[in-house]
Amino acid sequence: MKNFYIIILAVAVVGGGVLYYAIGGGTPAVEPVEVSDAELTELAKPAYVYGDPDAPFTIMEFADYQCGSCKRFAVMVKPQVDEEYISSGRAKLEIYDFPLVNLHPHAFLAARAARCAGDQDLYPEYHDLLFDTQNDWFEMASAVGHFKDLAKQLDLDARAFNGCLDSDRHAKGVSANMELGQASGVNSTPTLFVHEGGPPVYRLGGAGFLDIQRFMETDGAEN
Amino acid sequence: MTGPHHPSPLEWLEPRGEPRAALRGDTPPRNRMAVAVLSLVGAFLAFYLLAANLGWTPPVPCGSGDCATVQSSKYAKVGPLPVSGIGVAGYLALLALSLAGLQGRLIRSRLIPLLLFGGALFGVLFSGYLTYLEAAVIEAWCRYCVVSAIIITIVFVATLPELKRIRAGIRT
Repeated sequence: MKNFYIIILAVAVVGGGVLYYAIGGGTPAVEPVEVSDAELTELAKPAYVYGDPDAPFTIMEFADYQCGSCKRFAVMVKPQVDEEYISSGRAKLEIYDFPLVNLHPHAFLAARAARCAGDQDLYPEYHDLLFDTQNDWFEMASAVGHFKDLAKQLDLDARAFNGCLDSDRHAKGVSANMELGQASGVNSTPTLFVHEGGPPVYRLGGAGFLDIQRFMETDGAEN
Repeated sequence: MTGPHHPSPLEWLEPRGEPRAALRGDTPPRNRMAVAVLSLVGAFLAFYLLAANLGWTPPVPCGSGDCATVQSSKYAKVGPLPVSGIGVAGYLALLALSLAGLQGRLIRSRLIPLLLFGGALFGVLFSGYLTYLEAAVIEAWCRYCVVSAIIITIVFVATLPELKRIRAGIRT
């Protein structure tokens, strides 16, 4: 019996240790964090910029990866914007994170995941995969595993990506984007702004291609 | 030289009608030790899945997306209860029963063999059903669920000697 209790004790210690490590070993940041004024100045910049950084027009998109309309923008509108304005060098598209954390529990993590992929220079690919598979992870209790699987699909360095995702890396960057959006009156996603290198900054009434086209071909042409 | 007969403590504790031979020299059944160790391992595994299901842990680190598929499927819950939570409760019950069944008089309890065998039988059937769902309905495998299914199957095999104890109890 003595040996039996030694075995039970050993299993309990090893199992408890593994469990402790698994639960406490890394907790991904899934909610906004506090950002100081200095950090806000430094971090309130786009998560990614599509197109020529020197393009005369800038389209700013405040987006939420768990938002169905943002998916439609990414899948249906953005390709037209790419073709019409970005590839021609007339405009660039800046992506700002604006996860609606009260509605979408995985949105903040998804924004961080995309930036973690961006650390390995695959932000656009990961951005597309997040939206392509949005229906798969939308209702998951935890989307962490799915986001790591997406990284594997892109052959990202799994150790680096997982380490990034399981930490609070980029939490301040996403939070700073959110503060920038709130200060700009963003309350829904996707919200688009357009400017020509500085003020005035125009907020578009919608996020369809026609909204962008109307500005670029009329208002933008006049400015 | 013989003196007056003094009943041994074994006889004081002897349940009425229990065959005396079965009471003397009883050693803790090894199969219950095996059930205890395996149930403890199973409880940790199920708790890990429960923690992942509730979002307490980062990721169940599977090699593919299948764990996420299984864990997020509608079959991952029975009503409001996560299946992994049922697993934790089941394994802990088997652990408690097997540990109790190793203690003194309870080695000869008639109830413990019934509960142990019945619990393991329910566990292996439920686990078999979940494995069928993974294979035929969800079409995705979570390796941790498969390991749990293997553990409960071995636990079930380890409880088979309880059938003899059940039969012995019923005969008396």
